[in-house]
Amino acid sequence: MDYDFQFHYVRQAWPLLMEGLKTTIELTVAANAIALTLGFVIALLVLSKSRLVRAPFALMIEFFRCTPILVQILWFFYCVPILFGIYLDPLPMGILALGMNLACFNAEAYRAAIQSVPREQLDAGIALGFSPAQRIRYVVFPHAFRGALPVLITNGITLFQQSALVALVALTDLMYVGKQVATQTYRPIETFTTVALIYFAISFPVSRIAAWVERRLDTARA
Amino acid sequence: MTFNFSFLTRYQDAFLTGLGMTLQLTLIAFSIGIVWGFVLALLRQSRLAPVRWLAALYVEFFRGTPVLIQIFWIFYCLPIFLGTDLGNFAAAVLCLSLYGGAIMSETFRAGMKSIGRDQYDACHALGLGPWTRATSVVLPQAALRALPVLLSNGIGIFKESSLVSAIGMAELMFIGTTISNRTGRPVEVLTVVALIYFVVAFPLTRAVTWLEKRILRRLAI
Repeated sequence: MDYDFQFHYVRQAWPLLMEGLKTTIELTVAANAIALTLGFVIALLVLSKSRLVRAPFALMIEFFRCTPILVQILWFFYCVPILFGIYLDPLPMGILALGMNLACFNAEAYRAAIQSVPREQLDAGIALGFSPAQRIRYVVFPHAFRGALPVLITNGITLFQQSALVALVALTDLMYVGKQVATQTYRPIETFTTVALIYFAISFPVSRIAAWVERRLDTARA
Repeated sequence: MTFNFSFLTRYQDAFLTGLGMTLQLTLIAFSIGIVWGFVLALLRQSRLAPVRWLAALYVEFFRGTPVLIQIFWIFYCLPIFLGTDLGNFAAAVLCLSLYGGAIMSETFRAGMKSIGRDQYDACHALGLGPWTRATSVVLPQAALRALPVLLSNGIGIFKESSLVSAIGMAELMFIGTTISNRTGRPVEVLTVVALIYFVVAFPLTRAVTWLEKRILRRLAI
């Protein structure tokens, strides 16, 4: 193999790539913020005593988990404006699509953690005269959040990677900029490798943190 | 806005062809991925440190980067190294298999961890070679424990296979977006595409949950 590597073009395009990375991070952080809160609310609704409340949200979770995220992104970009008359800029729409997807995955994580909240703690909450809202705020949430944390972090990184798909609806994230640079410079190897390394350089350390948190929680429980 | 799903019947064959291709890609990549995943899991237990590191790096890299960039890399960059064109089917299968292998190796590894040290000692005492040990002792137990998660990984590959539409592979996603663009009716078309994926994936996830419960009960005895 006698391929002549030239990273010169990638270096030239570096500011553009960083611009794209900024969008990718914005998408990831905003979607995670939505999903960490909304996911908990959905988990509570799915655990509701009323079947009428439970059913639609359970269906929503299954739907987001059992279809490709690419279909969901296209659906949000092309169908939400027509169906609901909501016209958003690409970035907020991307955040909405990714945030809803992640919220459903996080809801599953929260649900498992909420179900592991010991009965006595809830009883203690009642005995102390907490209102249902206070019980959720001070007893259920801290417990569920701690228990679900490793999965929440893992889901968060997965979303960071999945966010690359918004490039296919022309949102100028890291992936999109990388594709453009690769096409314009005819240097796909250098560009795509660099882009892949940028993604890796962020997701790998975070996945280590998730593993570390999980070990710590396991020791705390043991 | 009025909705009209009736025009979709004209495209019934196209959707079915697309689904067929999606299922074909999934099954091939799943089969190769399982074998590759098991090999990777064994390599990660190798006595040679460099082998372990390389295998670990491979797995982390495929799990730590977007699948889309893996697809682009294999489709646009690999042919330059190989000197021949790959074609999008080969590129799609290769990418999904390499990615599938990486995620499934983690599943096997978790399954192998549950095999006690004593069993390895027993193999040693019985004079079993590494090959017999891997295929007759480790694999059956690791596979049984890992089976539900492996099947979930398969469903994951089914969903990820939609990404190969980005390199022009005519599977369900690609055909869906083409019809959507041609008819200008994204709401009906994309909803149907989503429903087709759902109709395949949802029962499978239920089946996996059922299987998982059964296996757990069996292992508990």
